[in-house]
Amino acid sequence: MTIRSIWAASPIALLLFSVLPRASAQTTAADSLDQIKIDPWNSVPLHGSAYTGLKPGPAPRHDLSGAWDATGDAGPNGPPAGIQPTGAYEHRSVLPGNNNPPGGEPDERHIPNPLPYTPLGEATMEAHKPTGLGVRSVPAVEGNDPVDICDPPGFPRMDLSEFRNLEIVQTDDQVLVLNQFFRTWRTIWTDGRELPKDPEPRFYGYSVGKWVDDYTFVVQTVGMADRTWLDNQGRPHSNALKVEERYHRVDQDHLELTVTIDDPTMYTKPWLALNKFPLRRQPKGFDIREMYCSPSDYLDYNSNIGNPIDAPAAK
Amino acid sequence: MRTTLASISLLVLGLLAASSPAFAHHGNASYDTSKSVTITGTVTEYHWANPHVWVKVDSKDANGNIVHWVIETQNIVTEVNAGWTQSTFKAGDQVEISATPAKNGAPFGRFNGRIVINGQVFKA
Repeated sequence: MTIRSIWAASPIALLLFSVLPRASAQTTAADSLDQIKIDPWNSVPLHGSAYTGLKPGPAPRHDLSGAWDATGDAGPNGPPAGIQPTGAYEHRSVLPGNNNPPGGEPDERHIPNPLPYTPLGEATMEAHKPTGLGVRSVPAVEGNDPVDICDPPGFPRMDLSEFRNLEIVQTDDQVLVLNQFFRTWRTIWTDGRELPKDPEPRFYGYSVGKWVDDYTFVVQTVGMADRTWLDNQGRPHSNALKVEERYHRVDQDHLELTVTIDDPTMYTKPWLALNKFPLRRQPKGFDIREMYCSPSDYLDYNSNIGNPIDAPAAK
Repeated sequence: MRTTLASISLLVLGLLAASSPAFAHHGNASYDTSKSVTITGTVTEYHWANPHVWVKVDSKDANGNIVHWVIETQNIVTEVNAGWTQSTFKAGDQVEISATPAKNGAPFGRFNGRIVINGQVFKA
């Protein structure tokens, strides 16, 4: 919703608009975020300090639209939170007091908040060999992360790893999520249809969503192919995975995302992957920089770095 | 026929798996995070590319021999957010780079802090 349309929607605003000079109306209008100058192309997202002192307008009703950034809230020593190189944020694959673990552990029993694996879940997780950061990281030559060969990350991995910039677009019967990483997108249907009963598994599943109150949009997704991982850490899922996302619009500039994983094949109980995870709106006109998995770039990288760095040490 | 095709496909996949290691995307497992080295020399190439940005530097070892170093950092989006651009380095730049070295002892590293370009400390 634009500043102008918010004003237009309010009779009081209309009254004020009629008596105040326009410049004054704009400075007191819904949001000063949109006054911040950004690069018009390949925009760089605004982070924490840029939001200090801003007075966000109220959350617009039934509206998630806009460009959002998920990378803003790094801990004092951690990486930008949205990128989550060490796995789903509520269950990060780190060691107590060490956000930069050396890797090489066979399992995750020493992480601060282990997942409730079933025996099959544990075995599947251990068969997945992640090369990113985390307690189980292996050298790339030993890894089998499907994303390392440019396979689609799939859903919900697009929420749980490399969660960066996204654009949300709403139409009459869809909410579209356009995601920066690998330039992926998904459709959340809002036309009242039921989820498929026996879905043909696919990378990004099948999603339906509905507003449960004026500011909370709840999405159910099923039918994700089990060849995808849940996150960079190789947490597994089966084709029976169900994911619930709760998008809560806190105010005009802030959105919180809660993601619950429910897969009784791999986990003994549902678990929270993200809990009120913060996303910050970006100024109007924000242009998302592309971020692709380009196989030719990867081949070039591998011949120059990827392969020699994992070659056996010279005698 | 189908069986034959499947067998051939498996064979091809097997050959691919044997001949080309996984596409690399390194965490800490390939680097010795207990060490840091300083590489001083001349930039020969700068790659503003996926999956990681990297630079080649020719440096002289203790015996005066040229060593071709390759030093990587993160992806373009992360580096842009940290203030890097596609013209941060160019061939011919004299640089001093602090890096975490590869475990296998080969001249590879990952940027880990101080960068000096043509006498100027690079502050992103």
